[in-house]
Amino acid sequence: MAIEIRQATVLDLPEIMNLETASFAKDAWPEETFKSELAAKHTYYILALEDNLVVGYAGLSKLPGSDQADIQTIAVREDKRGLGIGKKLMDTLTLQATELGAKEIFLEVRADNSIAQKLYKLFGFKQIGTRKKYYQPDGVDAFIMKTDMRLKTNKEPVVLGIETSCDETGVGIVRGNQVLANIISSSMDKHAIFGGVVPEIAARAHLEALTPVLDEALEKANLTLDDIDAIAVTNGPGLAGALMVGVGAAKALAVATGKPIYAVNHLVGHVGADILDRGELKTPTIALLVSGGHTSLLVVRDLLNDVELLGETIDDAAGEAFDKVARVLGLSYPGGPEIDRVAKDGNPNAIRFPRGLTLPKDMEKHRYDFSFSGLKTAVARHVELAESKGEEFSIADVAASFREAVVDVLIKKAVSACKEFDVPRLLLGGGVVANARLREVAKEQCEANGIELRIPPFSLCTDNGAMIAAIGAQLIMAGRAPSTLNFSAESTLPVTTVQS
Amino acid sequence: MKTPAASTRIASYSLAIDTSAGTTVAVLSMGTVIAEVNYLEPMTHSERIGSAIEKVLADSGIQANQIFTVVAGVGPGPFTGLRVGLAAARYFAIGAQAELVGVCSLDSIALDFYLENPGAGNLLVTTDARRKEVFWATYSGVVEGVPVRSHGPSVNKLEDIAELIDVSSHATTELGVRAGALGQIAFAQELAGVANRKDITPIYLREPDAVPSKGKKVSG
Repeated sequence: MAIEIRQATVLDLPEIMNLETASFAKDAWPEETFKSELAAKHTYYILALEDNLVVGYAGLSKLPGSDQADIQTIAVREDKRGLGIGKKLMDTLTLQATELGAKEIFLEVRADNSIAQKLYKLFGFKQIGTRKKYYQPDGVDAFIMKTDMRLKTNKEPVVLGIETSCDETGVGIVRGNQVLANIISSSMDKHAIFGGVVPEIAARAHLEALTPVLDEALEKANLTLDDIDAIAVTNGPGLAGALMVGVGAAKALAVATGKPIYAVNHLVGHVGADILDRGELKTPTIALLVSGGHTSLLVVRDLLNDVELLGETIDDAAGEAFDKVARVLGLSYPGGPEIDRVAKDGNPNAIRFPRGLTLPKDMEKHRYDFSFSGLKTAVARHVELAESKGEEFSIADVAASFREAVVDVLIKKAVSACKEFDVPRLLLGGGVVANARLREVAKEQCEANGIELRIPPFSLCTDNGAMIAAIGAQLIMAGRAPSTLNFSAESTLPVTTVQS
Repeated sequence: MKTPAASTRIASYSLAIDTSAGTTVAVLSMGTVIAEVNYLEPMTHSERIGSAIEKVLADSGIQANQIFTVVAGVGPGPFTGLRVGLAAARYFAIGAQAELVGVCSLDSIALDFYLENPGAGNLLVTTDARRKEVFWATYSGVVEGVPVRSHGPSVNKLEDIAELIDVSSHATTELGVRAGALGQIAFAQELAGVANRKDITPIYLREPDAVPSKGKKVSG
């Protein structure tokens, strides 16, 4: 679903009227009214198109010389609601209103249309009055709502981001698209003897690290809490007990300082990291996020409004597979760098390990999903068999062949998503991006297929607070209202929920 | 940190937070509770904590920056919930430039018991530690507003406690943890000069459930 927004003209009237009469059964505007609206000089109407078909429209009125604008109407086709199209339309309209010099935007909404009201609240609209029985013939009241654009556009917000979704305690500070500090404390060493992240140990370490990491971030940015405009925090997905440490801390900090709080999706944070690296996120882009906790393939058409999960691992995360195979080979934790080191001298084609979910029958159901559990077992069998026969085997070859199998599947599926969705960009994120072979193959394959490859620096690829702050800053700059204090830590938060 | 004049060394306003069982938060003025909320559900700490603090501040008419001391219940209690309050206490204290004090959560139950039963003798306090065990401590009474702990805190099966103390000589109570009582204890400790400044290390009493990796053997 690629949604395009463009300005409407009188030529679009027939299609608009189809949608108008379908959307507003009893109080649709007559065709003549809509025609004069489209033709008027002081109005700005836009369409949302999918495959050149109108699936939504919205309009704004702004009289020259006035610093107030009115949202006239907004409609999204019934079967396309809940997909972020309304948000996209509102984004464009509020941006246009600002460019036209509006300081305040007004609108009326049916008192019984709570879905529309929720959308407007997201953009900072607050109810300022009621018009009794405004909508006829139903006799339904209209709520008058207003948002103040001066609050949101005049400067780049300074946002403090808190990240505790796995084993990294991160506090980052950004100003708009720029990193001011990005401090990370990892509990990785404490998990080493267990061969993987132990959630309880990670959560204990977060609590210990909270204060020093915040102090260090403020010191690095040379700021005090008074300089911070808002607080952002990861509320999922991730380890529940770990997430709750950050959520509890962030809420208390927000109440203590009176700053607004934004609950942010961790995976969207990884995508947003690219903004901090080059000042913008080019969309659409395919994003491949690979870490010890996630292996996800996303298509991002719009960072705040349109992120879709194409597939993810159905068992182990790629980073987990590296850890487990490292154990099999007697290498230390974390497995990724160790396998990278050993594989350097090995032959990646020595053993043909299985590529999970690439057979035709799997590709039907799991086109963009991943599976590494079978691969891990195959490596273990290979090693056990060799040992039981008393045969010598090359750890370097096993490591290199295993790594090749992981990288091969990851990049093949990512590149084929780029082709299938006609998206000429691939963004990598997550700690496994440190893997040398992954970067190498990604580069080769992207070059061969005319795809632009983005790999932010490692400090922004691994879990970190700056990427969470970056999403907070984007939400503020788009005029989004803060989260309410009641949001929860959600270990399985879907990627479509950018802000809770 | 606010630097109070010598004559007002005793903090005026304090915020007490405990998530060792439910979510309980209170604002105190000179050791007297002026607002308190108690949510008993044991699983909603991270949802509740922000608005609970906001509510007690609003109910008491106190601004966050007027809070001089943050009193944290340091447990024992189920870990995941316990940490939410401790994380909140740490960051609230930083945000409000207040100082931190830790109090054993079970002490608040003892204080409430002795306030209801003046002159009572030995007390055994237990709370649910899950896995068929209880967190427990014993008390002999209250001196200058501070419960005097004689054993614990520890974690055991309820029936095993009898091997450690003479259970028959101890009263028991159904009372629960209350942030207001924690704040009262911290204030009394402050007056007595025995406050547990800055140490808000959680009382976990159990190691994380994890077995060191033996390596190898991943396949069946």
